[in-house]
Amino acid sequence: MKRTPYTRTALAVISGLGLLALGGCEPGHKQTVQYGYRGTGMNQIIDVKHMVSPGTIPDAPYPLPADGGPKAGETYQNVKVLSGVSTERFNHLMAEISQWVAPPEQGCAYCHNPENMASDEKYTKVVARRMLQMTQTINSTWSPHVQKVGVTCYTCHRGNAVPANKWALSAGAPHPGSILGDRHDQNPVSADAAYSDLPTTGFADYLLGAKNIRVYGTTVLPKYDGKGASVQTAEKSYGLMMHMSKALGVNCTFCHNTQAFGAWNLSRPQRATAWYGIRMVRDINNTYISSLQSVFPDNHDRKGPMGDPYKVNCTTCHQGVNKPLGGVSMMAQAPALWGPVAPYTAHAGAAAAEPAAAPAAAPADAAKPAPLAMNGAGPGTAAK
Amino acid sequence: MARYQNMFTQVQLRGPLEAGPPLRNATFTRTGPGFYNYWMGKFGNAQIGPIYLGTLGMASLIFAFLSFEIIGLNMWASVGWNPVQFVRMLPWLALEPPGPEYGFSMFVPLNKGGWWLIAGFCMTTALILWFLRTYIRARALGMGTHVAWAFAAGIFLIITLGFIRPMLMGSWAEAVPFGIFPHLDWTAAFSIRYGNLFYNPFHCLSIVFLYGSTLLFAMHGATILAVGRYGGEREIEQITDRGTASERAALFWRWTMGFNATMESIHRWAWWFAVLTPLTGGIGILLTGTVVDNWYMWAVMHHYAPGYPGTGVIDPATLPGAPK
Amino acid sequence: MALLSFERKYRVRGGTLIGGDLFDFWVGPFYVGFFGVTTAITATLGTLLIIYAASLGPTWNPWLISIAPPDISYGLALAPLREGGFWQVITICAIGAFVSWALREVEICRKLGIGYHVPFAYGFAIFAYVSLEVIRPFLLGAWGFGFPYGIFSHLDWVSNTGYQYLHFHYNPAHMIAVSFFFVTGGALAFHGALVLSSVNPAPGEDVKSPEYEDGFFRDTIGYSVGTLGIHRLGLFLALSAGFWSAVCIIISGPLWTRGWPEWWSWWLNLPIWS
Repeated sequence: MKRTPYTRTALAVISGLGLLALGGCEPGHKQTVQYGYRGTGMNQIIDVKHMVSPGTIPDAPYPLPADGGPKAGETYQNVKVLSGVSTERFNHLMAEISQWVAPPEQGCAYCHNPENMASDEKYTKVVARRMLQMTQTINSTWSPHVQKVGVTCYTCHRGNAVPANKWALSAGAPHPGSILGDRHDQNPVSADAAYSDLPTTGFADYLLGAKNIRVYGTTVLPKYDGKGASVQTAEKSYGLMMHMSKALGVNCTFCHNTQAFGAWNLSRPQRATAWYGIRMVRDINNTYISSLQSVFPDNHDRKGPMGDPYKVNCTTCHQGVNKPLGGVSMMAQAPALWGPVAPYTAHAGAAAAEPAAAPAAAPADAAKPAPLAMNGAGPGTAAK
Repeated sequence: MARYQNMFTQVQLRGPLEAGPPLRNATFTRTGPGFYNYWMGKFGNAQIGPIYLGTLGMASLIFAFLSFEIIGLNMWASVGWNPVQFVRMLPWLALEPPGPEYGFSMFVPLNKGGWWLIAGFCMTTALILWFLRTYIRARALGMGTHVAWAFAAGIFLIITLGFIRPMLMGSWAEAVPFGIFPHLDWTAAFSIRYGNLFYNPFHCLSIVFLYGSTLLFAMHGATILAVGRYGGEREIEQITDRGTASERAALFWRWTMGFNATMESIHRWAWWFAVLTPLTGGIGILLTGTVVDNWYMWAVMHHYAPGYPGTGVIDPATLPGAPK
Repeated sequence: MALLSFERKYRVRGGTLIGGDLFDFWVGPFYVGFFGVTTAITATLGTLLIIYAASLGPTWNPWLISIAPPDISYGLALAPLREGGFWQVITICAIGAFVSWALREVEICRKLGIGYHVPFAYGFAIFAYVSLEVIRPFLLGAWGFGFPYGIFSHLDWVSNTGYQYLHFHYNPAHMIAVSFFFVTGGALAFHGALVLSSVNPAPGEDVKSPEYEDGFFRDTIGYSVGTLGIHRLGLFLALSAGFWSAVCIIISGPLWTRGWPEWWSWWLNLPIWS
């Protein structure tokens, strides 16, 4: 019979395809977590082998010196943000920043002119100053998101001059008015929407702009006011949520009972933390990063295709884990970043630190931006 | 041990191909004499063809081809006519309907959803022409038109999704995109936007009929195969002149669950279950956003949404002095 | 006695798998048999337990009653009755009832001298149920992964379990299963319609023969699978739908833990593209 070889070939093809499909799988040991009431299916199953490492915190370059002695503002010229910090601690922080951010072969020279450390001639120094203010604002103003753990330069930079995870405005369709190359901001498959086909415009809409993420109907019956979100808008919101899940290495049930996505009394406290996080990221992108637009050089290490500086999203800090760096605070090794520290003035050097602003305060006021020396940029170019 | 369970045809007959019953009022003749295929014969009839193309059939195929080409070429253009990327990205590629800014306008720039409108029009035309074709083919053979109406139920769901509901909502942005993953994204986003489609009672009914149809076909297919040794597959004969196959099939279900259909009524059960799947589903779609904006909240109002222990979390946006 | 006109000649002894003649009798239209007795016991016990567990719960509203599995912390151990133990016992009763029912079908098949296709097909439904409530929870190491017994609460489980994988529609086995469900529905509509259209022809026409059924489908789509083939096809489609449904949930967790969209990156990264 001539049928046997056919059967064998068919069997071989089927088992080959089966093996291929299994090859993409994770058969190893699993860890499980329950997020909600039993039987609701609010769980997470984690494949131990593919678990994302939270990253390790590098040892401080040398032990944190005791506070005291002359202030940095006394010792050095042109210290604008940290003038009230003691010189010893200021030096310690500078050593840490160079360890956390600067390329090792450049060290201090990455930001400073070695001939004149006080000079603002390198744009990196201007950026670093703004970033110090940003870090202080995050740690003082945005504690509903960063809790008592807080952040340092290392949380995002991890030894890179530019954090590895960032975004910029998309170039859009290459041929306006034509379908050629137009992917509707939707199908360039990337981790930004957890590899789904959902739009990735959520970064511009929600993490820079302040469009309404809440597409969920708020009333039983339609309001017919023409303000309800369309299904297309819902996809954008969903796309952002995919990003957040991927950034934190969690699933939708980490925050929501999907019985009712919008219902707060069914949501976990993490959803409120994330709510503050979205506003924090907006503040970072608008108040701090966009204000450096003219400071950054026009090259593609620093700016995206539309010429806007690279911005942060959830992955920038979280990098695949729900608590960045395992939720370990670096406060003990860089206390100055939990400022704002009262500035050094010749006569009132011992003034007490300002009390930290309440979380509800308008964050832009918490740290007055220092004048930007280069390229005549004004402070706070974006005030959304 | 191995018994004949009638899963494959063991002996295939070969003779003159069946030409089919005479056609009434036909403008065309059937195309081709047909041919035999051994492997098709293992499972069902070995004869493939002939086919009756006809005016409606060819018109339908032309419109189907147009919509297929418009969708495919739009997708291909979206990857810059790169053939490799077209294949690689195909499941992700889309032809999207117009955005909310165009409302329900019939005049949308081609690259902003105009092509979607044309593709949708061609597809709908193709389906309606095909519906007319099934109706006329049945009449040409002197048969009932049950197939045509079953097909119409499916068309109703498609037109509801792509035309009637967007019209009622006044926005093409509510319609389903063309594309493999894109239409799945639409489905999920639709449920999220309108407060969980699982709480839409017509969605529940549609699923019940869909699962019910599958259950019925498993039950019916299995029963007929089980009584195949008594000629059970000759259903028309069993309907008009009941034989032992029909009796055994009926008694199997009567003894199992206390109730049985007849050889004819099982096909009525089947037709209604299958047809009610898209009909109830279409009604559920029609009501969403037009009559009910949030199905979960509607379920709470009508006491059918289970409650779970509250988490005590409150919306931070409602706290005094919350950031924007 | 509710006997059909032709029924008496089919009511003969024999064909039982177990118990000999002991339970070989009918109650009304129902055949009993040994497995009828076990079905009755397990189904009654399970139903009573559902009612009792519901009586301890907050509601008698049938849409809201829910009997949930234990917390995941109980692992594969037994839980106290009110904290998931009821669910565990009810699950055992349900499996007992389903398997008994299937075996009772086998006995009826033997009695009627027909093939075992129906109990075989029913086995797929049992497999799908056991996949959800036993196989997957077992592979994940906790009964807490089973779905709760409640009309709408089990939908919440489906929703949340789906969103554990961010977007469940991207699950390839789920895609196959849904496709089979839709195709089964379509095929059932066409089969039912074709038979009805032959025996309920146009006004004034004679009942049409299977040659007309074949003729109609050959005229419209160029192929008619035939009277026997359509039942093979229907059974295959329906069982495939159930089988792939079971596969799509068994692989979610035990074989894949991230978002289902991400699973497709193997396709994007195939070496043939570069």
